[in-house]
Formats: sequence, C-alpha cells, structure tokens
Amino acid sequence: MEDIKDFKCTYDHASENSPEVAKKSGLAFPDAYLHADMMATLSKANKENEGNTMCILPFCHTVEAEALGGIITLGNEVAGPRAREYVYTNYEDLVNLPEIDFTKGRIHEVLLACKMLREQSEHVALEVSGPITVLNVLIDAKHIFKGMRKDPELMKEVFWKVGEAILRYVEEAKKFGVDFISYADSAGGVNILGPKMAEQMVEDFTYEFIKKLESFADEHMMIMLCPKTTFALLGTDHAEFRDVPVSGEISYGQGCIETIGRAKIVGQQCVKNVDYILKTGSIKEVVLK
Amino acid sequence: MATKEELLQKLSDCVFEMEDEEVVDVVKEYINAGYDAQEGMLLGLVDGMKRASAMYEEGEYFVPELMICSDAMYAGIEELQKYLPNTEGLSAGKVVIGVIEGDTHDIGKNLVRIMLETGGFEVHDLGRDVPVEVFVNYVKENDVDIVAISSLMTTTMPGMEAVVNRLKEEGLRDKVKVMVGGAPVSSAFAEKIGADGYSRNAIEAVELAKNFIGA
Repeated sequence: MEDIKDFKCTYDHASENSPEVAKKSGLAFPDAYLHADMMATLSKANKENEGNTMCILPFCHTVEAEALGGIITLGNEVAGPRAREYVYTNYEDLVNLPEIDFTKGRIHEVLLACKMLREQSEHVALEVSGPITVLNVLIDAKHIFKGMRKDPELMKEVFWKVGEAILRYVEEAKKFGVDFISYADSAGGVNILGPKMAEQMVEDFTYEFIKKLESFADEHMMIMLCPKTTFALLGTDHAEFRDVPVSGEISYGQGCIETIGRAKIVGQQCVKNVDYILKTGSIKEVVLK
Repeated sequence: MATKEELLQKLSDCVFEMEDEEVVDVVKEYINAGYDAQEGMLLGLVDGMKRASAMYEEGEYFVPELMICSDAMYAGIEELQKYLPNTEGLSAGKVVIGVIEGDTHDIGKNLVRIMLETGGFEVHDLGRDVPVEVFVNYVKENDVDIVAISSLMTTTMPGMEAVVNRLKEEGLRDKVKVMVGGAPVSSAFAEKIGADGYSRNAIEAVELAKNFIGA
C-alpha cells in the first residue's frame, strides 16, 4: 500500500465567490444566500465571471450542518455563510444528530436553485461536504479528533449518521436535476489528520461511502471527488485511475461534461480550478476496487 | 511516595500520551506530595507539550495528536493553577491571535496558539471570524507585543491589510509586530500589506514570534 499523498489546495484562478460579482449583481445580502432565485442568479454570475463550465452551489460549506442544527452567520457580499458558534461540546452527543428535512430551509432553497439553473440548461455542480467538515461546523474539531482516538466505533457511527444524510441529499439533488456532485471533506485531509488517522477514516467511512455515492452516477449524474479524497482512496489501495478519452486538450470541467455517463467518478483536480487543462486528451476516472 | 522527578516525568508523559483524565490525578498526587507547582507546570506539563511539538516537527504527531496533548496540558494546568503564584511578567511575550472576519477555519490558528503557548508566550485567542475592529480594540486596550492573524480564504485576506491600516490610523502600528499566516497567504502578501512577517506553519510562527521579541 502506498502512502496517502496530500493534494495542496491552490488558489490560482480559483472558482470562489467574488465580492465584485456579488456587488455588481445588484442582489441584496444576505438574501441572496437564502432564496433560490437569487442563489441561481448569483451562481450563474459567478460562473460567467470565472469562465467556468458549470454553476456551483452552494456558496459555502454550511448548508448540511445548518440543516443538522448548526448556527450560521449568513454574511454579506464579501464573506458568505459560515459557522457562528458551536452547538456541541461533547463528541458523544453527536450520535443524537437529527434527521435532515430537505423540504424546508436553506438546503431546500439550494435544491430549488439547482433546478432553476438546470431548467436554463446550465450544468450544475452541487458541492456536498464529508462528515468531518460538516461536524466541524457543529463542534470544535479537537473533539472530533479526540473521539476518533478514544472511541473510534462511536465516531464511525457518527460519521455514518452524517454520511447517510449526505446520501439522501444527493438522492434529492438527483430528483432536482443536478448533474454533478462535488464531494470534499477538506477538514479531514491527510495534512490535518496524519497518515494513520487518514487511513482509519478511509477504512471506517470514506471507501464504503464513495461506493454508495457511486450508485447515483449514470448518464445523468457524475461524481467529482476532491483530489484529497481521491488520493486517500488511491493511497489505501481502494481505487485506481483509468484514462477516459476526451475530445482534446480541454478544461477539466468540459472534460467532466463530455464524459458524464462514461465515467462514474472523477477526481484528479479541484472543481474550483477552472483553468486546469486536460493536456493528455483524457480525464482520469476513479475506479473503486 | 514517588520522587519529584518521577512525578514530573509522569506529568510529562500524561501530556505526551494524551492522557487528559489521568493527568489531573497525577497533578493532585504531585501537589499532595508537597512539590513546587511552578516546576510541575514547566518541567512536567509544558515539557510533555514540548515533546509533542518535537514529534509534530518530525512528522510523527499531527494536528489531532497536538490538540489532544494540549487538552491534557490544559487539564493539568487548570488543576495546578490553584497553587501557582502570579506569573505576570514571566511570559516570553504577549500575543493576540485570531482568524480574520469572514473565515472560520481555525485548526491552523489553534495549532499556532498551542505552539506559542508551549514556547512561553502569553496568548489571547480572539477566536475565529474576528472583525478588524476587535483586533484593533484589543491592541488599544491591552499590552500586546504581537498581533497574529490567520486566513484560509483569499476573499477574507484583505481584512488582514485592514487590520494593519487601522492600527496605523489609531497610532498603534509601532506598538506591535504583525504576523500573518494561512494557506493562501505568502511572504509577498505580508510585505505588500505592511505586516512584519509571515509564517508557513505553526513551527515557523514560534520562531518568528521569538525573533520579534528578540528572544
């Protein structure tokens, strides 16, 4: 087994919310983070500003956590939604996380915004977060890490509680027409956890979770993994790359669009790096072993 | 009865081995034996944290280990504090640290705080998503040597420059050294915004802080 390599997040031409775009959009904040029609408008404006091939939603990584009871500051055009204060102080209490109701709240508005954009023939990448990232909105990360060391079985149960919620979110997203699911758990990267805990995370959760996520992929939906997750799967010998030809030296986003239905999971690059070009004329499918 | 050296080693081991519950019992045993509380802290608990920091530098311990070690250290300190003399004036320097407004990524900042405290600095942690004015007001109202600002998002980095500029406007800029850090931050950015230094990681942050103080 190889080591789990780290993918370093880069910030060159990163697709992020642009305060300038937000200001020029004429949208009111924080309303634009709350209502589907405004979310769709802002997402499309971001996409056009960046020269991206797909609209990305949401504008933060707090939607799932908020739906699980998180307390969020919605923000403004400069800084978007983020965690305000922690809800839990003991990792043992995380087993009591509630179920997510996808029919109301900001998470529902995000799904509606996705649907609106798809009806405008836009490609939509819905960013969903992994359990450590979600939980870090609800509880200080040190409690998560303490739980992973002292009570790994309980934390596995907690991760799967979040994981099942994410899978239901993806299921809903598919009904709303989302064609790309971008999955990342950056707070649980090997650069933070270290190799031993990162491997533990793959064995306890990530591998089986991505297998379940894969079941949603078909001619209408593709799974895009954060490269940190890809490298975690490769480094633990749970996946390998397979080259899938594309039409030429095109952007990663365009490559994903071309190969939807031919590749279930991809993950060689960050969804935010809009300028990344597939110089080999192929995209790397992540094939689970 | 265990000797002082044995109990100091045990305190150090509790921190190093992340025994955040056992450490309190060992502190009680140490104090009951009549040994010096200050030595218990510095030669026992802080020693364990220094060993953990060394493991982190060597790539053997990572963020989770360091956080849990520091929890054990603080659990021990909380018990020891009842017996500690007033330690004002004994720190290497006073630091105020926080993640700039708009950003809630605080794992790196927490690591820097832990390492600075292990390095003998007195650190006041403003937390995360900290407005510019909160940094400035803290410097205005307190005796501070270093302002340490973290950002993990390019969109919130301008807030770091705003802190530097507001310190200038308030006539406070020369009172403090400003250090910045975070994944998208760079030494070029630090220079551009008029900060005094940039550190790539928690280990460098301590070295930079020591250089600022002239330690």
